[in-house]
Amino acid sequence: MSDLDRQIEQLKKCEPLKESEVKALCLKAMEILVEESNVQRVDAPVTICGDIHGQFYDMKELFKVGGDCPKTNYLFLGDFVDRGFYSVETFLLLLALKVRYPDRITLIRGNHESRQITQVYGFYDECLRKYGSVNVWRYCTDIFDYLSLSALIENRIFSVHGGLSPAISTLDQIRTIDRKQEVPHDGAMCDLLWSDPEDIVDGWGLSPRGAGFLFGGNVVTSFNHTNNLDYICRAHQLVMEGYKWMFNNQIVTVWSAPNYCYRCGNVAAILELDENLNHKFRVFEAAPHESRGAPSKKPAPDYFL
Amino acid sequence: MENGNEEEATLKAAGAEPLPEGRRGVRIHGWEIESRNRSILNSLTYEQWEQKIQTSHLPEMVFGESSLVLWHLKSGIKIHFNAFDALVGWKKEGLPPVEVPAAAQWKFRSKPFQQVILDYDYTFTTPYCGSETIEKNTEHGKGNISDQGSWSSQWEDCEEKIDIVALASKEPILFYDEVVLYEDELADNGVSLLTVKVRVMPSCWFLLLRFWLRVDGVLMRLRDTRMYCAFENNTNPFILRESCWREATFQSLSAKGFPSDSAAYSDPNLISQRLPVVMQKTQKLKLPR
Repeated sequence: MSDLDRQIEQLKKCEPLKESEVKALCLKAMEILVEESNVQRVDAPVTICGDIHGQFYDMKELFKVGGDCPKTNYLFLGDFVDRGFYSVETFLLLLALKVRYPDRITLIRGNHESRQITQVYGFYDECLRKYGSVNVWRYCTDIFDYLSLSALIENRIFSVHGGLSPAISTLDQIRTIDRKQEVPHDGAMCDLLWSDPEDIVDGWGLSPRGAGFLFGGNVVTSFNHTNNLDYICRAHQLVMEGYKWMFNNQIVTVWSAPNYCYRCGNVAAILELDENLNHKFRVFEAAPHESRGAPSKKPAPDYFL
Repeated sequence: MENGNEEEATLKAAGAEPLPEGRRGVRIHGWEIESRNRSILNSLTYEQWEQKIQTSHLPEMVFGESSLVLWHLKSGIKIHFNAFDALVGWKKEGLPPVEVPAAAQWKFRSKPFQQVILDYDYTFTTPYCGSETIEKNTEHGKGNISDQGSWSSQWEDCEEKIDIVALASKEPILFYDEVVLYEDELADNGVSLLTVKVRVMPSCWFLLLRFWLRVDGVLMRLRDTRMYCAFENNTNPFILRESCWREATFQSLSAKGFPSDSAAYSDPNLISQRLPVVMQKTQKLKLPR
C-alpha cells in the first residue's frame, strides 16, 4: 500500500495527517491543480455535491449514498471548511482523493476557501487546536488559491459555487481570470464565489449590505443562451430540502450539509448525472447522532445570568 | 437509569414533576414550562411566512416550530417566545441597512444594467421581548400557542431589579434548555442570532432572550431581555422583566484599545461589558394571587 493510500484510509477514519504529510500532500495537489482551467472540463457521468462545511461524518454518508471515489466521478462545488467540527479531515480527505484520482474528482473553490473567511468561521482555530500551530492552515489556504473557479460538464451544464457576475457574459471571460490569489472583495472572481439568484429582481440586484450581487431570471436566461447551456448548478445557500430549482429550471442550488451546524434539521442532496446528462437528486440525512461526534442534543445546564 | 431516578427525586423534593413523555419541561408551583426544539422551516412554510409578514426576505434559518412557553395555570397567562412574533417585530422596527466594509469599494464598481438596490434590514434586528396571551387551562391542559385572546400587556415600569446575587447561588437546576428562534449568517458577514435560554430552580425560574448581531468590521448589537419569577412570593406574585440593549461599532471599540478583528467577538458573553448600554428598562407583571 502506498503512503497516499494509507493516508486516505487514515483520513476516512477521521484521523488527521501529520503536519509534514499535509505539507507533502499540498505540494502534490498544487502540481495537479495549477494545470486546471478556471472552467474545468468534466465528463459525465458525474455526481455534483454542494457545501460540506467540515461535517465529516455527514460527508461519509454522502459517499455511502453516492458511492466511493474513484468508482463514482465527483464534482464538489466548494465550501469544504468552516462551521463544522472536522474541516481539517474533510478537506484533507478530498485533497488526498484529488491527488490519488485526479480525473475522478474535481474540487472548485467556494467563498470559504479563503484566508480571511477561515479566520473568522472556524478552520483557522481548528488547525491551531489540532496542530498547535497555524502551519497546516497556511498549507491549506495556499492550496485554496489554486482551486479552479468553475466546471463545465459536457459543455452543457455550468457549475460554480455562488453564481454569475455582471462582469462576465461568456465562459471565455472566466478563463482569462488570474485566479491564483486570495478571493478579492470585488470583481468577477468575487462574484462567482459569492453571488446569489434572487426571485424579486429580473436583472441585477445589489445586496442591502452594499456589497454582493443578486441576479434574476433574465440574467440566467441570457447567460445560458449565450453560452449554449442547459442550466447552471450552484451551491452556497442552505436549502431545507437539499436542492431547489429556480427560474424555470434554469438554475439549481445543491446543498450537501445535512442538519447544518448540527441543529437545522435539513436534509442534504447530491445531483447525479448519467452519461446522457439525465439527472437524479439523491437526498440523504445526517449521520446517526452517536457516530458523528457532534455535541450532545441535550445542552448542559448552565448558570447563565 | 440511576441518573434518571436521581433527577426525579430532585424534582419531587422541589415539588415539581416532568412533563409527560415526548414533551420537554416541568410543572412547578402552578407553572408549566415547556421548550420545543424543532427543525428550520421547509421552503413551503417559509414562503407562507414571507407572505404573512409581508417581506421578501427572512433569516435563512427560521426555527418556526421551536418555542419556549411559560404558562401560569391559575391565571392562564402564557409567556411565550417564538420566531414569528420576533420577525413581525423586526419588520415593524424596519431599521435601515448597515453597509459592510467592502461596500466602500463596491461604490466604484461599474453598475450593471437594470440594477435594483435592496434595502431591507438584513440584520433582522428585533425589539422582541416575548409574547403574552391568556389561555385558560382546559381539562387536558394542552399547551397549544393560540393567536386567540392576544392580550394587551400589563407590564408596568418598576424600580425593582432582578436579584442577580440570588441567581448566582448554585441551587439545583430542575430544568434547563436553550431554544434558537432564528439565525442568519449574513452571507458570511457576521451573525444574527435570536435565542432564549431558561433555567428552573426550586425557588424561581429565570430566562434570557438574546438577540446577538455582529456585522464583521462594522458593529455589534446585543439586545437582552431577562425574566425572573420567584415561586415563594405567594402574597404578591409577579414577573420581573429587564431589557438591556447594547451596541458598539468596531471603530469605537478599536479607539478604546479593544481588538478590532471579528474573531475576537464570537462569544457575546465574554464581550457584552465592552458594549455601551443604549437602552435599559425594568418592568413588572403582576400575577393574580
